[in-house]
Amino acid sequence: MINVKELLEELKASPYELIDIVAPHTGVVEFAVKEPGLKVTGAHGAYREKPGTLIATLERERNKKPIRATLTGVVECFEAGLAGRFVEAGTKLATIRHYLTSKEVVDLILKKALFLFPAPERAKYYFIPEIDKKMRASGKNAVEVRDGMELLIMSRMKRETSLPYKGPDGKIYAVYFKLGENVDSGHPLIGVCPGDQLPLVQDVVNRVRSEWEEHE
Amino acid sequence: MSAAHKVLVANRGEIAIRIINACRKLGLGFVAVHTREDMHSGHVRHARTHGGDGAVYRVSSYHDANELMAVADASGATAIHPGYGFFAEDFRFARRVVKRDRPLIWIGPSWGVIRELGDKINTKRLARRLGVPTVPGSDRPIYDEMEAEELAQSLFAFQADQGFERHLVLLKASAGGGGMGIEEVERMDTFRSTYRRLRNYAKRQFQDSGVLIEQRIFDFNHLEVQILGNRRGDAHVHFGTRNCTIQSTGRQKRVEVAPGFAPGELTYGFDAGKVLDDIVEYSLRIAKEVGYNSVGTWEWIVTPKGDPFLMEVNTRIQVENGISGAISKINDEGPVDLIKEQVRCALGEELGYSQDDVSFDGLSIEYRIIAEDPSNRFTPWVGRIDRFAWEEQPWLSVLTHVPTDEPYDIPTEFDPNLALAIVKGKDLAEVKARGVAFLDSLVLAGEDRAGQSLKSNVAFLREKTANILEF
Amino acid sequence: MELDNRIRKLQDRLSYIRDIFGDKENANIALLQARLDEFLTQERGMSLADQMRHMAQLEDLFLFLEKKLDAQLTPMDRVRIVRHPARLCLKDILENVYDNYTEIGGQDEYSIDPSMLIARAYITRRVGKRVINQPVMVIGQEKGHGQEFRNGGSVKPWGNAKALHYMKVAETENIPIHSYVFTPGSYPIEDYPGAAQQIAKNLFEMASLRVPFVSVISEGGSGGAEAIALSDMRLMLSHGYYSVISPEGAAAIEAKTRQGERVAPELIAKCARQLKITAADNLAMGYVDKVIDEPPLGARVDHYDFYKTLRNEMIKATNQVILQVKGMKLFRSLALSERLARKGQAVDAEEVFVSWNLSSKARENLVWKRHQKFRRLAQTAYMDTRTFGEKVVGRFQGLAWAMNSYFRYEFLRKHQRKIKRLQEELEAEVHLVRNKVGKPIRAVMDKFAGGRPQTVSEEAKTSLTQLSKWDDKGGLSNGKWVYTSPKAKEDRTVTCPNAETHGCLDLWAPDLFGEYAGVCGYCGHHFTMEYQWYLHNVFDQGSIFEFNGQIESGNPLGYEGFDERVAEAKKKTGLKSACMTFESRIENLNLVVAMLVAPFRGGTVGAAEGEKFVRAVERARRKHYPLLAYVHGTAGIRIQEGTNGVIQMPRCTMAVQRYIADGGLYLVLYDTNSYAGPVASFLGCSPYQFSIRSANIGFAGPGVIKETTGVDIPPDYHQAHQALSRGHIQGIWDRREARKNITQALLTMGGRNLYYR
Repeated sequence: MINVKELLEELKASPYELIDIVAPHTGVVEFAVKEPGLKVTGAHGAYREKPGTLIATLERERNKKPIRATLTGVVECFEAGLAGRFVEAGTKLATIRHYLTSKEVVDLILKKALFLFPAPERAKYYFIPEIDKKMRASGKNAVEVRDGMELLIMSRMKRETSLPYKGPDGKIYAVYFKLGENVDSGHPLIGVCPGDQLPLVQDVVNRVRSEWEEHE
Repeated sequence: MSAAHKVLVANRGEIAIRIINACRKLGLGFVAVHTREDMHSGHVRHARTHGGDGAVYRVSSYHDANELMAVADASGATAIHPGYGFFAEDFRFARRVVKRDRPLIWIGPSWGVIRELGDKINTKRLARRLGVPTVPGSDRPIYDEMEAEELAQSLFAFQADQGFERHLVLLKASAGGGGMGIEEVERMDTFRSTYRRLRNYAKRQFQDSGVLIEQRIFDFNHLEVQILGNRRGDAHVHFGTRNCTIQSTGRQKRVEVAPGFAPGELTYGFDAGKVLDDIVEYSLRIAKEVGYNSVGTWEWIVTPKGDPFLMEVNTRIQVENGISGAISKINDEGPVDLIKEQVRCALGEELGYSQDDVSFDGLSIEYRIIAEDPSNRFTPWVGRIDRFAWEEQPWLSVLTHVPTDEPYDIPTEFDPNLALAIVKGKDLAEVKARGVAFLDSLVLAGEDRAGQSLKSNVAFLREKTANILEF
Repeated sequence: MELDNRIRKLQDRLSYIRDIFGDKENANIALLQARLDEFLTQERGMSLADQMRHMAQLEDLFLFLEKKLDAQLTPMDRVRIVRHPARLCLKDILENVYDNYTEIGGQDEYSIDPSMLIARAYITRRVGKRVINQPVMVIGQEKGHGQEFRNGGSVKPWGNAKALHYMKVAETENIPIHSYVFTPGSYPIEDYPGAAQQIAKNLFEMASLRVPFVSVISEGGSGGAEAIALSDMRLMLSHGYYSVISPEGAAAIEAKTRQGERVAPELIAKCARQLKITAADNLAMGYVDKVIDEPPLGARVDHYDFYKTLRNEMIKATNQVILQVKGMKLFRSLALSERLARKGQAVDAEEVFVSWNLSSKARENLVWKRHQKFRRLAQTAYMDTRTFGEKVVGRFQGLAWAMNSYFRYEFLRKHQRKIKRLQEELEAEVHLVRNKVGKPIRAVMDKFAGGRPQTVSEEAKTSLTQLSKWDDKGGLSNGKWVYTSPKAKEDRTVTCPNAETHGCLDLWAPDLFGEYAGVCGYCGHHFTMEYQWYLHNVFDQGSIFEFNGQIESGNPLGYEGFDERVAEAKKKTGLKSACMTFESRIENLNLVVAMLVAPFRGGTVGAAEGEKFVRAVERARRKHYPLLAYVHGTAGIRIQEGTNGVIQMPRCTMAVQRYIADGGLYLVLYDTNSYAGPVASFLGCSPYQFSIRSANIGFAGPGVIKETTGVDIPPDYHQAHQALSRGHIQGIWDRREARKNITQALLTMGGRNLYYR
């Protein structure tokens, strides 16, 4: 059993994360942000159709691409010295101080309560097509997993192998990998909520809702 | 040659190192790229050592053409070498390189040639026009059952005639892909039902009932001819043949030998010398016809009866180009660096020699040393390499991007090649003995995350050495 | 007590007047207010008789000034009249115009759509000694004096479907239909059956409805109005409006405002004026047949005299429609006019009895008359630069094609069929005989051949490596397109909108817009392409023959500043209208194509576009060619042409209906944004609508939906795949395979002659 109260206190002590905004590829940077301290938002709206705050632009091959805030927060700092210069892929452009939302707090705590199915190898992972379709159509919670069930495909060294799920039966509660990104071996791929854990999950959700104050 | 040229090395690993070396020999500038995953690859080190920090750029992906163009412009590169894999045979990329507002020199065949020979069907069409034999197959989607049957019948007849032990005709849904919609037929009596099943499946699945009718050949030798053309495509020489028959289960080459056969030392059920002459002549015929204007490899199937059939043309520098260079001399000087010749010609220099100035001597073997498990369908092994060492020899060159002085984590993104070892000998017996000696001297050890020790194909390579060039 | 009542009534009238005239200062209104206030303050001190006298005076003043004010009504005031909760509603009409009625399928909010009201009603009267009962089907929008669940008369697709259902019922029962239009426009929702597609279906069916149909327009908002108003006789209430779009909507478009921003009332009033939306305007343009006079400042619930007028007009209109198509027409109309002459005043329809039963032949005649009626509309709303001679030649040519087609497809066919059948029988016989004789021999041959491999001769071996026969198919595939987009000439890269979700890398414009035909190589997203791309890459080379190119878009309403805008569009695109019509071939199959071009004022449809479309349909019908409507893009009806544009919805749909009924194959292909009126009529009615992946298809765009319904819709709400899921279209094509798919569609749906019958 996990101590929800303790975890909550811990998080309350430092209720934010620092998130680096990096250049997704090479190009010439121009900053839209003028000084640190600017409040920014990530994509929002009922369908996330409203884009996040513009941090910078990155121009490559005459294609000026917006670099936007991915989350709500405050610009902690940005690399003003890079303005107008060609940067390599992965160069840090800015840092955002993001205050955790109650949903994120729930996720963080749940990560300790859920069964985490780990990546056996460093590789790229994706769901088998049927599962993927189902998730897209009705959300990740719609997928019930059973021990031995065909769930994921592991892709590495140009080879694809199917990866059956091993662990308790339950519902997928969280997905921790992104399409096309490598996952290190041992890192969790999905979080599964076994049937008997449901009351606990509910408890976490309720407590965070009542106790967590969102930072504006 | 103008020293003002700067070559963007649009590749990684050992080929990047070889290209950098070729540039250095020619006194050219160069710039290398790498991804986050590949930060510790030997080619990055090599570029930094010989070109400084300014010669290395980090990009998001080797597969993103835009990154390469952007780096070329930012670094002031004037030419681009694609190596093998990635963009080497992508005619769109080659076209973009030369057609953009700030054009670069493309070190490879011009895009029109890549397009023409990159299309297998088109290559076959061309070959037939020139009287060059090609591997039989439907080459285009068949919609008519009668025609399909006729084709299958002749394919079976062909396989019988060539003396193959196993007969197999493949049916592929032409709109399919990724292994979907492929059926095998071993006898003519089951052809019709299989064909219909596949046709209906294709119609339902892909809205197109076209079926390709091809064959799978089991016992054959895989030969290659190495060609070089000048930039205008009006002067051509060849650098002999290679035999690449020793492959993994996934049809990946593991051991290559130059030349393609050894008629002086081994006996064949056919006139092997003539086969080698024929395929060289056929290859040059096509190269001249299309105005081939860089290095390229013509791939051939030789059947047990000794009939050669053209499979395809690889419009790029091959991994195994080193063994052809090793047995070749230009005006009695060798070995030949084919990459250097390729770069030189791309920048517009004349060949400066003719076929008569090219001579051959001895044999050469290339081993591809890979962390994989030959007993388990050559499954790649991933982990950390702790020790990698061998005895240096005058007849040996080992090409690798794997550091020998520090541990190295194998990246999971790319081809699993660790190193290429090129062994030279004056005759078959010597080169085989040297090959085995090298493999015996090789130290390769490591551990994966689960604590399992490294698996490699070294034993497989040694075992295969015994029977090279036999057919 | 009685006085109090009268005071309250006057107060109501005054507040109504204030509502109607909006915020405008008006001396007459001020006067009324002053006199009423004066009366109220002095009232207490007066005797009852004085009070009564003053009251009577005051009432007279009200009557007098209301008349005076009526003459000052602006178009926008009229909009406010029809939207006022005091305005008469369909229920009031049912209760007061008809003698008995039963509402079908609705009890206030308990209805599939409370804004659409259906009733079976009776008109009962005594003519001479006979009591006559004449049943009608009444259909119309119910605004319910502001009842919220009525949605202001904004009908959902299923409401319009119900209306269509009962039109068909009326057809079966052979009774006339009376429809009453009280709608600001249809409710923009895409759920099945879909706002646009249902209106299209209604129009298509109404075009051939075999019963007399009279409609009355009070508030006629665009597509929503058309859904129940394609009728034989269109009446309009004198204080109503009939328009392509609400004045607010037009103003929002003119001012290019963004969602939620308010438009200045002056601009709205100006738009209302410019759009020519009043009854008088529409009568002058010919889009309504008659205007029914209302009491000053518009008919309200308690104007009982007006119901009598309306009843009279409805009976008369129905009679007229019937007499037009019934035998003995001359005699009857003579009788009517005789009465008229004798009395020297309006004839009382109550006294005239005309049976509303129609014979089968008369019903056919009715449909034909309806077609002609709409075909003749809007003939002065476009520009035709052909000379008189050219027009005459054009007419004769049409006739010649029709004759030719008649001989080829009607006359010869009958005889050909007999010959063909004989031939087939003969062939079958021969085949049978040959099989019987040939079988044993072939079996023996097979036995010899099978089993062990045949030996192969040298010659055969050579042929083995040359197995398949090459047929060099030139041209269109393999990324070698005949036409290359100008967008493919810039050295730059483009980011696919799906890059984030699908991991698409940036695409190099020359590849993307050249070889890839505007399709993302990673995810298949379709960028939009120019219409020229299709002209050159879909149809056979050099097979395009344009016709009616001289019919040009104009400015029929004299809309301020619009002449320049049309001229600019013509200059920019080099086209004369947003609709290009041509004959062409695909794989040597002839077809007629009508294309709506997005760069010409958004591909909007006005009188010229409608006329060209109708003529293209007629040409296809005469020549017995299949018809393709290729919608490169359309934003809807061209609002600056007002009802001249709206009327193209029924006009074009009727042409299509006739073509299809005649056996024509009508295909629609959407390419980019295809919205509103055209989709809700002549496009949406096709049984075969396909879409290139790049299309968005729907009734109203996201902005309008947010504005009218307050709902945020998902960004992909109108995407082609959604339209397919909702059943609005029949398939989605990859742009690169458009040619192949059109050919396939022509062959599989068109049959032998690419024409059904």
